[in-house]
Amino acid sequence: MTVEQDFEALDQFPVGMRVLAVDDDQTCLRILQTLLHRCQYHVTTTDKAQTALELLRENKNKFDLVISDVDMPDMDGFKLLELVGLEMDLPVIMLSAHSDPKYVMKGVKHGACDYLLKPVRIEELKNIWQHVVRKSKFKKMKSTVTNGDHSLGNSDHKANRKRKDDDQSEEEEQERGNEKKPRVIWTRELHNKFLAAVDHVGVKNAVPKKILDLMNVDNLTRENVASHLQKFRSALKKINNEANNQQANMAAAMDSHYFMQMSSLKGFGSFHHRPIPLGSSQFHGGAATMRHYPSNRTFPGMFPPHVSSSRIHNDGGYIMLQGLPLPPLDNLHINNNNNNNALPSFTSQQRSLMVAPNNHFVPEGHQQSSSSSPHLEINKRLEDWSNNIPQSNVHSKPDALKWNIDTSTTEPTSFCRDTDFGSSYATTQADFLDPFQMKQHQENNLDPMTVAQLLRSSSGNEGLLFMGQHKLENDFMDSDAASLDDIVNSMMTQQEQSQAEFSEGDLGFGWQNNSLRTCI
Amino acid sequence: MDLVQMQKSLQDYTKSLFLEGVLDSQFLQLQQLQDESNPDFVSQVVTLFFQDSDRILNDLSLSLDQQVVDFKKVDPHVHQLKGSSSSIGAQRVKNACVVFRNFCEQQNVEACHRCLQQVKQEYYLVKNRLETLFKLEQQIVASGGMIPAMELGF
Repeated sequence: MTVEQDFEALDQFPVGMRVLAVDDDQTCLRILQTLLHRCQYHVTTTDKAQTALELLRENKNKFDLVISDVDMPDMDGFKLLELVGLEMDLPVIMLSAHSDPKYVMKGVKHGACDYLLKPVRIEELKNIWQHVVRKSKFKKMKSTVTNGDHSLGNSDHKANRKRKDDDQSEEEEQERGNEKKPRVIWTRELHNKFLAAVDHVGVKNAVPKKILDLMNVDNLTRENVASHLQKFRSALKKINNEANNQQANMAAAMDSHYFMQMSSLKGFGSFHHRPIPLGSSQFHGGAATMRHYPSNRTFPGMFPPHVSSSRIHNDGGYIMLQGLPLPPLDNLHINNNNNNNALPSFTSQQRSLMVAPNNHFVPEGHQQSSSSSPHLEINKRLEDWSNNIPQSNVHSKPDALKWNIDTSTTEPTSFCRDTDFGSSYATTQADFLDPFQMKQHQENNLDPMTVAQLLRSSSGNEGLLFMGQHKLENDFMDSDAASLDDIVNSMMTQQEQSQAEFSEGDLGFGWQNNSLRTCI
Repeated sequence: MDLVQMQKSLQDYTKSLFLEGVLDSQFLQLQQLQDESNPDFVSQVVTLFFQDSDRILNDLSLSLDQQVVDFKKVDPHVHQLKGSSSSIGAQRVKNACVVFRNFCEQQNVEACHRCLQQVKQEYYLVKNRLETLFKLEQQIVASGGMIPAMELGF
């Protein structure tokens, strides 16, 4: 065999490259071992994935490369692949007798550097060292920023050390170290920090530099913040435009919850001055401050529209508000029976309402009332906005507006801005929320005026910016509009005065929009 | 039989195995991996293969004899057998495994039974042939000769 002659003298590397081979099949393992020896690598073998992990964990610098079979009894090879990539960040090559492309795809998705088919040929193994070089070079590139060391000679060891540093500083970015340019992923936490910062300086004064400083996040550049802010602003704008156009439509679908939300949205005008209840399933309004972002991704101030059944209760729209166990609500002085009166008080109280109530606003509709699907749709969207968890349980948590809830997935961390509420609305209705909701269930199914009011009031309110990110669709408004017109009209007048209060423009309300689609 | 004759016999025998498709080029690769530092590599690996396969075939028989066949158990076994047989170059065994797996996917118990029979047949065949091959090699070595390297001329 002339394998030895094929290797360039690259500081002896790849000769002596340390490979960990994992395969439960003894025959294949033995063959692999011999093939690797023939390539002049240093080989360690094990037939158990668990043992492999232990060996790796014992000393991350002991190996340069891992080759693993896919089908192993004690642990799925893909799982091992992921763990190795996450914990040790070593290149992993998958090995399998499955030639099905979907396995190959799976391997790639889980981070495999390569996927070899059994029976393995020596030619394929001769070049696996390239993965080690590539990975360490990449790591070097990333750490160049920190220490500018470019030497390739001791790449493996240096890469290992650097890798550790990089990992720590890249937590926020959720990097696996496999990409050329670390992409900033705007997680809920990160987004919440952003919101807090924006709130602090005020939307009008929000400049990337200030926000970046306030956020105090490592590895976040001014550019990242700037582009995020830009999206934020454009979404706000969109929402405001939508709100103006959709008030009438919204009226029909909105229930009193919604109204409540709207009211609190108003409160966002002075958003940054108010505590925002975050993420609790109760509307703990008083306690929360804008800066308290819930760990979920809800954006403070977002209220999931309460989806109610198609029954429209004209009264009691505000009753619900009363039911909210939110401290700020106390200020609302909502009068159960007097919606109109409540309205004005809302406006003033709105400001103190912070998001937390969102959860309460979970539309009843979520609870399987599919009768008013259009409403549900909106509510769901709003809900999703404010829910951290795009699952049926989510609704029970009053979270701040969710920036990026993707209702179609159950992945809370997915930043999928396109919240397609309509489709998943029905499914996530279960449990949405809470006693508050129950209470209102009867009363509120849709309080057209609240909706209308909310719409109006929210138009000027930028506080709900995040909510705003989602555009509510118009379509859900239709069903009960007719009967609500009168109420809406009467409400409107009252609301007009409150509209002025909304224009603080800290954060836009997105909740008005049914189809919250973020374009971020 | 003198040494040269023995060596010739071995070569012819090995050639025939390839021609019949019992073995494929993977086996040649294994042979090429055998060297002074690893003199018994091929027989070691083949022995491992026999051990693993005996066990797998046994498990397969048991699984397929169950009242309700659990294909989730059957499939991985067949898959493993396919992997190891392809690694040593037992081509016909591998091919029989491929067919077997297809029927597993279809959950066709009858066909699987037939496939198992087929796999067993091929397996015993290759086992038998390889054992003969090793015997020939041993005889040559015992007579002080070298085992001729296989040529891929055929």
